[in-house]
Amino acid sequence: MRKETEQGRPDGKDSWPEERLRMFQFRKIKRVLDHAYRELPFYRRRFDAAHLHPDSVKSFHDFARLPTFTKREVLDEMKKKGTFKIGMETYNSADQAVLCMTSGTLGTSFLYLPKRWRSLRGDSLARAYWWGGLRTGMRMLMAAPAWHSLAVQESRVIERLGAACVVPWGTFLPRFAENFLTTLVDTRPDFVSMFLPMLYALLAECRRRKMEARLAFDSVQYLLIVGAPMTPASRVKLKEQLGVRDIFEGLGNPEGLTAMECSSHRGHHIFSDCCYVEIVDPKTGALLPAGKRGNVVITSLIPHGTLYLRYDSEDLGEILPHACECGRTWPLMEVYDRRANTVEVAGKEIVPYDVRLCLDDFPELIGVPFAVVRGEKSAPYLRLLIQRVPTGDPYELGTQLRALIRQRLQIDAREEWSEELPERWKGVAVIEEKDWGTPRV
Amino acid sequence: MRSFKQFLRISAGSPLYRKKFGGLATEIADFKDFSARIPLTTLEELVAEKISSGDPYASRLCGNGAPLVTFQLEYDTETRLYLALSRQDLKKYAEALRRCWSLVGLRKGDAVAIFDYGTSPVSYLASSAFTPHLSQGAADALGCLPICNDGVANMSQRVVEILKFIRPKALFIRSDCLEPFSIESERQLGSLSAYTGALVVTENEGCLTKVERDAYEKRLGLPVYRLLRIDAGMFLAMECPECRLFHSWKELYYIESVTRAGDDVDEGGQKSLAVTNWFARTCPAVRYLSQVKGSVHSAGCRRGRADIRITA
Repeated sequence: MRKETEQGRPDGKDSWPEERLRMFQFRKIKRVLDHAYRELPFYRRRFDAAHLHPDSVKSFHDFARLPTFTKREVLDEMKKKGTFKIGMETYNSADQAVLCMTSGTLGTSFLYLPKRWRSLRGDSLARAYWWGGLRTGMRMLMAAPAWHSLAVQESRVIERLGAACVVPWGTFLPRFAENFLTTLVDTRPDFVSMFLPMLYALLAECRRRKMEARLAFDSVQYLLIVGAPMTPASRVKLKEQLGVRDIFEGLGNPEGLTAMECSSHRGHHIFSDCCYVEIVDPKTGALLPAGKRGNVVITSLIPHGTLYLRYDSEDLGEILPHACECGRTWPLMEVYDRRANTVEVAGKEIVPYDVRLCLDDFPELIGVPFAVVRGEKSAPYLRLLIQRVPTGDPYELGTQLRALIRQRLQIDAREEWSEELPERWKGVAVIEEKDWGTPRV
Repeated sequence: MRSFKQFLRISAGSPLYRKKFGGLATEIADFKDFSARIPLTTLEELVAEKISSGDPYASRLCGNGAPLVTFQLEYDTETRLYLALSRQDLKKYAEALRRCWSLVGLRKGDAVAIFDYGTSPVSYLASSAFTPHLSQGAADALGCLPICNDGVANMSQRVVEILKFIRPKALFIRSDCLEPFSIESERQLGSLSAYTGALVVTENEGCLTKVERDAYEKRLGLPVYRLLRIDAGMFLAMECPECRLFHSWKELYYIESVTRAGDDVDEGGQKSLAVTNWFARTCPAVRYLSQVKGSVHSAGCRRGRADIRITA
């Protein structure tokens, strides 16, 4: 009799012995290198300029000789050619395909995503949703930002896992929080996939309606959060507020990265079946070992559509040095912020996430909006702007916070309390000093 | 002729329609009988039904299983309404969009840009990649390459980027984004016709007037067509480049032009379109009275000789 398997249950790749996994990844890297050299002029030029032929790549170390590139170079190439087709993609007009976009302060770039890409990346992502508790027959609330590759992958995940879906009208903007909350209450999904800032907008909408968040999320068993890092303390608080079984955080970008927490919540497992991640020193380009922060460099292992090979995402992250207690061997990583959001204080590089971790040590400050004020030069102390909390003595809190920052980050800090952060700075973790007026303290 | 009996029997599987015409399901013999005896359903009625029953689908849901795909509808009503769709519903609904695309000349290899929310049928029916359980979107069927941008007016800049680097054959755009986009394109692109072949303006239960359409055509220097959506009825109709009337398809819909009271008497020409959807099996739409004023014309356009034609 045929053995019954639950629909979408992932295979055992995530628990392969490390050596087997490395060999598997290296084979995939060789495959995309060959593909890129043969089919993609953008990379052929880069290989030739680096005097590198795919055949000469015999190890991960050899692979690291291929120069990295950034989004700026992609945008410059598009501008030069006047089209999204810049030789990074295997374009075939006979393919069923869609174009998606990447957003950002630099500008918009485009990804050509054929059906085969969606199948491979979406099936890989299905593992993340499985870990997060999505099962056949469940109903998932999702947004439909069709411009973003996550929407393309999520639609595949739902099919793969045999789930149903419900989609609120609008998009991930706070002004649609009312629609999202109403959908949640009306249709009672089991699983919610959400952008973290939108979740906070939903909580604000609950407060506006004088509705307990627990009641709104009554049917929800699991939440999968993307888009911004969540600290351990904020997870605990959110779980308690919402009454859900667990909250998982996913990391990713359209260029190739997928990483996801398991129920141990010890970091994000890199999805080694579809991406290879390196951490490099932004100044020298040298590979950094686990436990060291640097720029996250991504290689997609999917040789279809637009391909990103050794793409410097300009995110600040690290491969975590510890193994996960869940037993899975896919490496753990953390992404802290965009490198552009780094602030230099007394010779140390600080990102808002470091500050958030300190703030979240104080129950009154969990989830409270704050910003780091950055000057043009390295500052002798960290300058913080924090939204005043309704309870607690800010003077006493400030003293304790400064002490904690000194102890944990080895820098001095000064905080200012504002009644409310100006609307334009909500969700913006770094404010340039030149843009900063007199705060309402 | 379609079997009214079978269609009405299926529709009467939903609590709402059972209440409205359950007893008539076996008696209706033809279109005339259908229009005379089956009552209209209004948006207000759906809202009231949702409030009284607590059912998000306003008691329109047929069958016992949980719906596969549910979309919250774009109506600014007292309470939000939802539409449930099965694989088959999605397939046929996407076929309606494919016909709209074909009518404006979209063909294999064309890129198509959409400036609308991913939750609009204009977006979610475009590709199987955008919607779970949709086997074939309009782009898949025609071999086109779609790209969407959220329908937020201040994201017009990103649409300009799309036009610069993708050069779509047509840009589908929400009517409330049309003016902001026009300003942005005039500022950055100059001649819009160098970047796209046509604009298609869409709106749920409304459309640009002909005067507005003509003014935009003159101002932007390219054809501006209108796509009519009636989302509660899963209805799409496309303005024909040839006869400039909306085309729809009798295999998919039955369209009537009626007064709000439901009889066929013209009250100063202010008749509204009522839609019966032949393919929707999960949330049927039977004589759904829209807010669109319009009338039904005889067939006969050479771009679709058998197509239903509508003025709105």
